[in-house]
Amino acid sequence: MSYHTKRGLRGLLTAAALAVAASMPMKAQAETTYNLALLSDFSGPYADIMPVLAGGREAVFTWWNETRGKEIGVTLNYKNYETRYDAAQVASLWPGIKSELDPIAVVGLGGPDVAALAERLPEDKIPMFMATAAYGYAWQPESWIFNPRPTYSHESAGFLNWMREQRGGDGPLKVAILASEASPAYVDMAKGLELYAEEHPDEIDLVEVIYTEVQPTDLTGQMRRVVRAGTEALIIQTNTSIVVAAKRGLQANGANIPIMMSSHNGLPASGGALGGLEQLEGDFEAYGMAIAADEDTPARQFYETLVADHGLEAPWNVVTAMGVSQALYIVAVIDHAIEANGVEGLTGEMVREALFAKPITTEETHGFLPTLTFTPEAPFPLEGLKVNVGTVKDGKITIEATGVDVPDVKKW
Amino acid sequence: MLYFINDIITGALIGLLYSLVAMGFVVIYRASKVFNFAQGELVIIGGFIVWFTTMQLGLSLWLSIPLSLILAGLVGYAIERIFLTKLIGESVFSMVMVTVGLLILLRGLVLLLFGPAVRPFPIIFPLKPLFLGDMLIPMNLLLGGIITIVAAVGLSWFFNRTRSGLRMTAVAEDHVVASSMGISVKGSIAFAWVLGAILSTIGAMIFLSGKSLTFLASDIGFAALPVALFAGLESIGGLILAGVIIGVAQSLTTNYLDPLIGGSLGSVVPYIIMLAILLIRPTGLFGWRTIERV
Repeated sequence: MSYHTKRGLRGLLTAAALAVAASMPMKAQAETTYNLALLSDFSGPYADIMPVLAGGREAVFTWWNETRGKEIGVTLNYKNYETRYDAAQVASLWPGIKSELDPIAVVGLGGPDVAALAERLPEDKIPMFMATAAYGYAWQPESWIFNPRPTYSHESAGFLNWMREQRGGDGPLKVAILASEASPAYVDMAKGLELYAEEHPDEIDLVEVIYTEVQPTDLTGQMRRVVRAGTEALIIQTNTSIVVAAKRGLQANGANIPIMMSSHNGLPASGGALGGLEQLEGDFEAYGMAIAADEDTPARQFYETLVADHGLEAPWNVVTAMGVSQALYIVAVIDHAIEANGVEGLTGEMVREALFAKPITTEETHGFLPTLTFTPEAPFPLEGLKVNVGTVKDGKITIEATGVDVPDVKKW
Repeated sequence: MLYFINDIITGALIGLLYSLVAMGFVVIYRASKVFNFAQGELVIIGGFIVWFTTMQLGLSLWLSIPLSLILAGLVGYAIERIFLTKLIGESVFSMVMVTVGLLILLRGLVLLLFGPAVRPFPIIFPLKPLFLGDMLIPMNLLLGGIITIVAAVGLSWFFNRTRSGLRMTAVAEDHVVASSMGISVKGSIAFAWVLGAILSTIGAMIFLSGKSLTFLASDIGFAALPVALFAGLESIGGLILAGVIIGVAQSLTTNYLDPLIGGSLGSVVPYIIMLAILLIRPTGLFGWRTIERV
């Protein structure tokens, strides 16, 4: 190749490169990016479920960017921050998160995030969206922290009413709660149901609330009391270790009282910790979100889409469903905010306003959540609340009931 | 009345489990005057070793238990060699601070090596309880209680009647003086850590048999702390009595007071007893009273 040919080729390549470069800034200018701060616990008490939950969240943001975001020229940029499920850690990280990301929304994980940021977010005008059920202590009007599900006590009360109907007869259902004072959230779960039982003695006869350690030494004695009292259902919304210890305590007493778990300590997690799902045959999980069972549901179909086209690697279980449902209602709210305010200049305040302006339909969350109508009165929807019930049948998780009504639980 | 007696027996057996874990504190303290804050983490490490040899390697319990105890001993030895041997002759405070660092390091190591998942712990002791008429006694706690008493008798004899045990006591008194008398300070402290790690692994087997294994299990270290301080940090035999008293008090509170108050006073009672006894007798029930001549 002669010098001139080389020079000509070089010139052509340079011109082509310049043309590509010239077109790129135009594309970048047309694309608006908004940041989301993801609070995560990869090394604390929920480290076991975090990679799966994070996988669910992130796959939805990727899906939104590749579909709706691409259409309207918006990218949702996200970054995980390790909180170790520790309120002090969240509080110390927050100023850095704000200055680094300037997020339009925070994707929260649990009680410590609420405790650390409840007072700060209204000042910073950034809303936080949770995946879990709500907490009684955070049940305040004009909140900046939101839950797609009612409180844990709403969920357990809904389940217990459903169980009483299934049982039939007139008397109240005899119930025991296993809780722990290790976390304010755990106490809150018990207190709300205690109040509901007090006010509805015809529905629930609360035989005992047992407080124990997060890794109990032995619950044989406590379970003996529960069995002797004729308990018909045991509510454990704390963690898997307490479920395992209670199950062993019941087995030692030769009893098989159905246990109701929540989403974060549900059937797959507790079954795994017990050595097999078959050990939880006849036990339940109940929450206001789709049950990750084998049945072909819209939620399952959307999960399959995320796996096939958007790189989701997490298995189909309740934890993945939590992550997916959380991210789905967040992108739905952001979508509503963009519809109302345009693509440019979106702020956290606009996102919060959009939450109250229009319901998030169950279609928008692909059946993962019921239709959510938020109001400034509470951090979670006060109307149209439903829970779904899953159980273990023949060693497999199956949907036992969907759309079970949640009763009116008074604020405690 | 029968249930009341049953609760006392179960409480005493839980107390003996605390005594076994507290034995790890005492053995290390007697040899080095170091209070090991990472004792709960040694329980977890022991638990993960048992889980690994049984559930991952698929060894039978007859093989995995002795192998786990040997591996735990090696971990204890390695900890002492890597982190503590260079501090011999330095202030006790430095060594204690190292154990605080060790607590964080071991938690991190567990996460790194085994991941965060909650795991089913092998069933080492039969799940079926022992029935004495209407009374029900968990088998893991019953057999664990027997093991604890045997271990306490054996260790008391070792520390009080054998030359090696007495050498370890001399080391605890003063590293420099013991060394000048020809006693291997390094060897004594290393042996104490090996023993501490083995006792923690036995404690993990009793505590976690048939339950789940996570790093939350390290909380047993804090539960055993009142027993160790109540007994006095030098007394192995005293741990048995202290464990039984604290276990029974906790059990009766949990079963009879907690349902009345709707709280968890049972988990606080051991610390109340510990503080009360320390106010009256700062060295604990059976701790050594040191007279220093100036």
